[in-house]
This record gives sequence, C-alpha cells and structure tokens, in this order.
Amino acid sequence: MKLKKYITLTRAGIIEALQFRLSFVVMVIGNLLYLIVVYFLWKAIYASAGTDVVNGMTFNDTLIYLVLATALFNFMEMYTVWEIGRNIQSGKIVLDLLKPMEYRKYLFWSYSGTFVTQFFLTFLPTFIVVSVVTHGAVPLGINLLYFVISVVMAVSINYSIDFLVGTICLYTESIWGINIMKQVIVLLLSGATIPLAFFPEPLRSAMYYLPFQSIYNAPLSLLLDGDPQPQTVLTTLGMQAMWCIFMLLLSKGFWKVSLRQITVNGG
Amino acid sequence: MSAIIEIRNITKEFKVLNRREGLKGSLKDLFSRDYKIVRAVDNISMTIEQGEIVGYLGPNGAGKSTTIKMMTGVLEPTSGEILVGGNVPYQNRTKNAQEIGVVFGQRSQLWWALPLIESFKLLKDIYQIPDKEYDGMLALYQSLVDIEPLLHKPVRQMSLGQRTLSDILAAFLHNPKIVFLDEPTIGLDVSMKAKIRTLIQALNREKHTTVILTTHDMGDVDALCRRIVIIDKGKMLYDNDMEHLKGFFGSYRTLKIRVDGDLKAHAEEIAKELPECSVSADEEWISILVDEDKATVMEVLGTLQTAHSIRDMQLQEISTEEVIKKIYEEGVQ
Repeated sequence: MKLKKYITLTRAGIIEALQFRLSFVVMVIGNLLYLIVVYFLWKAIYASAGTDVVNGMTFNDTLIYLVLATALFNFMEMYTVWEIGRNIQSGKIVLDLLKPMEYRKYLFWSYSGTFVTQFFLTFLPTFIVVSVVTHGAVPLGINLLYFVISVVMAVSINYSIDFLVGTICLYTESIWGINIMKQVIVLLLSGATIPLAFFPEPLRSAMYYLPFQSIYNAPLSLLLDGDPQPQTVLTTLGMQAMWCIFMLLLSKGFWKVSLRQITVNGG
Repeated sequence: MSAIIEIRNITKEFKVLNRREGLKGSLKDLFSRDYKIVRAVDNISMTIEQGEIVGYLGPNGAGKSTTIKMMTGVLEPTSGEILVGGNVPYQNRTKNAQEIGVVFGQRSQLWWALPLIESFKLLKDIYQIPDKEYDGMLALYQSLVDIEPLLHKPVRQMSLGQRTLSDILAAFLHNPKIVFLDEPTIGLDVSMKAKIRTLIQALNREKHTTVILTTHDMGDVDALCRRIVIIDKGKMLYDNDMEHLKGFFGSYRTLKIRVDGDLKAHAEEIAKELPECSVSADEEWISILVDEDKATVMEVLGTLQTAHSIRDMQLQEISTEEVIKKIYEEGVQ
C-alpha cells in the first residue's frame, strides 16, 4: 500500500514521457553526433600515440567504454538541479512541499518513470548494438548481475549529489552556474567523459576516494570485466554502498537545515 | 462547532538585503552585510471554525500569502503559535498536508502533460484515498459540474477557466478539512467566475470543508463569505462578519450613465429627482452615488428611465482597496 503511492508517480512519469515522441528522436540523433565526435577524437589520440595500447586500454576498449558511459549518462542524468531550481524560481515548490510526501522522495519518484523509458529506449538498444558490433567484447555472465546492483547504487549516489547541489539553489536562487559546475565535476571525475585509466597517477588515486567514480567508473568496470575476482567486486560494491549511505544522509540533513531558509518567491 | 485553525500572535520577519543602485552598487552588494528586517506579518491572531468560509483580504503585499504559507507549513513563523487541526503545521508538514488542499490561482498542481483523470488517479494514490471515497467524490463532482469532457483532456490544452476549475476539484479530492484558495478567480470571465463560486459553495456545504479565500474581487467575497478578515502592511485591520462591514461603510454603489444632450443640465435635473443620491457630472458620464439601504440601483434606474433616454450605463462596486482605505482612515467601530 505504501509503495503504491510511489509507483503511481513512476507510472505517470512513463505516460508523460511517452507524450513527447519527438524528443526521443532528437535525443538519439544528438547522441549519435556525440559518439561520432568521440570516435574521431580518440582515433586521433591513438594515432598520435603511435602504439595500439594506451594506459592499458586498446582503442576498442576505450570506445566501448565511452559508448556505454554515454548510454549510462542518458539513463542516469535526472536534471534534478534544473528541476529544483526551476521550481524555486517559479514558486511551484510550494505546491510540491504541500504533498503528503517528503520532497526528496516526491522528486525522485516523479522522475523515476524516465528511468524505465530511458532504459528501454536508449540504454538497452545501445548495449545490444555494442555487443553485436564488437562480436562479444562485452562479456555476458555474472558480471551483468554485478552491473545491475552497481547501477542501482550509482543512481542513488547520483541523485543524492544532484539533490545536494539543488538544495544550494535555495540559497543562491540561481541555477545555471551551479548546474554547469556540478555537471563538469561529476562527468570528469566519475570517468564518464574520459576513462579513469587516462588520468595521471596522483589524481587517479585521489579519485578513488571520491564519491564520483562510484557513479560511472564502478558499474562500467564491473560490466566490462569478463573474469571478476570476488575481491574486486566486493571492494567496488562495498565502496559504492558506503557512499550511497553517506551521501543519502548528507543530502537529507542538508535539505532539512536548508528548508528553514525558504523564502518562496511572491511570498 | 470546533476551532480548526488557531493562530495566536504570529509574526513573520524576512531578512532582505539593502540593494544599491547601478553597476557599482550591485558590485558592492556582493559583499554587503547590510540587511534590513521586513515584517511581513505583524502580530495576527484569529480562530477559524470548521465549515466556515473566510474571506482573507488586503491589498497586494499585505501579507496574505505569507500567512497562508504559515498555515500550510511552508513557512515557519518568527514568533507566535499556530495550530491547524491540532497540528503545528511546520513541524508536521507531511501530516498537515494530508488535511489541507491548496489552490494558487496562478499556478497548477496538476500534471501538465496528462489528462485530468490521470492527475486525479495520481492524487488518489499519493493521498491514499480509499476507492469508495474517491468514487463518491467523483460522483459528487459530476453532479455539481459537467466534468466528463474535462476528464480526458490534457491539462496543457485546457483554458484558464477549465484549469482553475480542475485545480479546485483536485484540491478537494482527498476531502481535506481545510482548503486554501489563493485568488482562484483571477483572470477569469464572468460566467466562469460564477461557476467557480457556485462550485466552492456547494463543496463547502456538502463536505463541511473550511475554506480560506484570498481575493481582490469583492464579487467573490459577496457570493461566498460570511466572515472577512482584512489585513494591510502585515497588521490585522478587521475581523468580523460581512454584514457588519456593509453596515459600516454602507452599501454604496456608483451608477454611471450617459444620456443625450447636455450632461450638466441633466445632472441638475437628476439631482432634483433623486434627493437621496449625490450626483455629479464630467465630460462623459453622470455619476450617481446610490445608497442601497435607501433605494436600490434598479429603482433609481427605473426613475431615471422615465425622464431621460439612457444611452449607456456602468455600475461600479466599491473595491476592496476603497474599503480598506476607508477603514484605515476612519477605523472600525
């Protein structure tokens, strides 16, 4: 019964997303263009390097990683900061706060329908195409299970970070700069735009201690690892679980404190 | 009857940065700690009973929305006590939300892209409304307004009037104890206004819901409220029933007419015919201030029609602003 009030928001999100058919087409085209750029960029990097293997990754490895990272990005990016910022500026946040549900949950479940549509319409097709084109370079085994568990936690960490940054909008009442900053930091440090192997050594080690690599690097490395060692899997998932809980508590606490700050527009 | 809302001496203050002018001033503002305290609501107390319709009036920026936001739990009062249905709203926001419904005239809580019925189903699950109650409510709605054509229309395709109507229905859906209506008839045409007033009245009667209505339209107040509360600059000016207020400022209306011929001459004649009214004339109109306690506008019009050929007429109500100005200048009692 309790779950129903959340699932109903997922359902509405799916129906809502399906109302805008054209946006899917535009998004697929946009992603194709991005991937073409990525393809030529990395081709040039590998050509100038003069060797087939750079930082332990072949051209194919890199490309597969980046294509899947893009697909994962489409699936995971929730535009939460935008949403919160817009709601604050328009004053709509008042109506959302008056729902008999925590705002954090309300926002997450309102968006969750898009997870479902994005999964079936972008991530799954991309994954299948990559698997077929590369003739099985993506291993299909127990790693898929690890991947799914890892993605669930990645979604949670990503949302917590977004929500945390969105909360800052309560203070600044502006969105753009904050959102861009968040996006650049997360995408760079999480390994979504450049595989972590390409970062210089001191930085790379530091990144393993930050929450960001748990969002893209962790699930993708679990997915692409054909022969997962129990120890690697446990460390990766354990680290994710830790960040998951920590960020959840942090974003929840910060929201609670910040809510007192609300001076809704037009009040 | 029991009190559903109890407010005791609430005050709300906002901290506002003192802004300076020009580019240089704006740059200085970046580092400024120069705040001033704005008191939006100043020491207001009131008690509202279950089932009342209260008109909450005041000019723009008087503090109406701030008070409502405190009652709904979005804002926390700087000082004072507030109890809504036995809850302190800002401490139990989620619990309080279950007991109240809200309509803000300028924005919608409905799902933009979805047909109305989907929004209703969502609200049903979010507020965990039992099937039986939900069906009962829809049946009631059906008997009050013709909602069938609205149900399957996406909200974004609705006219403002249809959307407001839908928003009001959505606010009452979970059968809350209190519904806050913030300027529900803003920007609507006359027939839609009438429709919405009838609807609010019927829902209040059927469900015994307390309604708190803010508006600038005296028509809304006349049609719906028996009790009105007026605030200005955060202070409470008036809290009593409608009749009392009317008795206080008299039920004056201004009748404006345009006749053929010289207006001044006609005005003088009219002044003789209607000794109880004050008459004045400008280039376009003859204004007749009618005290409806002595003679109704219709009677006056009837008298006028026998002697003059009226080409055009206007009827002006005394506006909220005028009432408030009058109270402000003269005080109540």
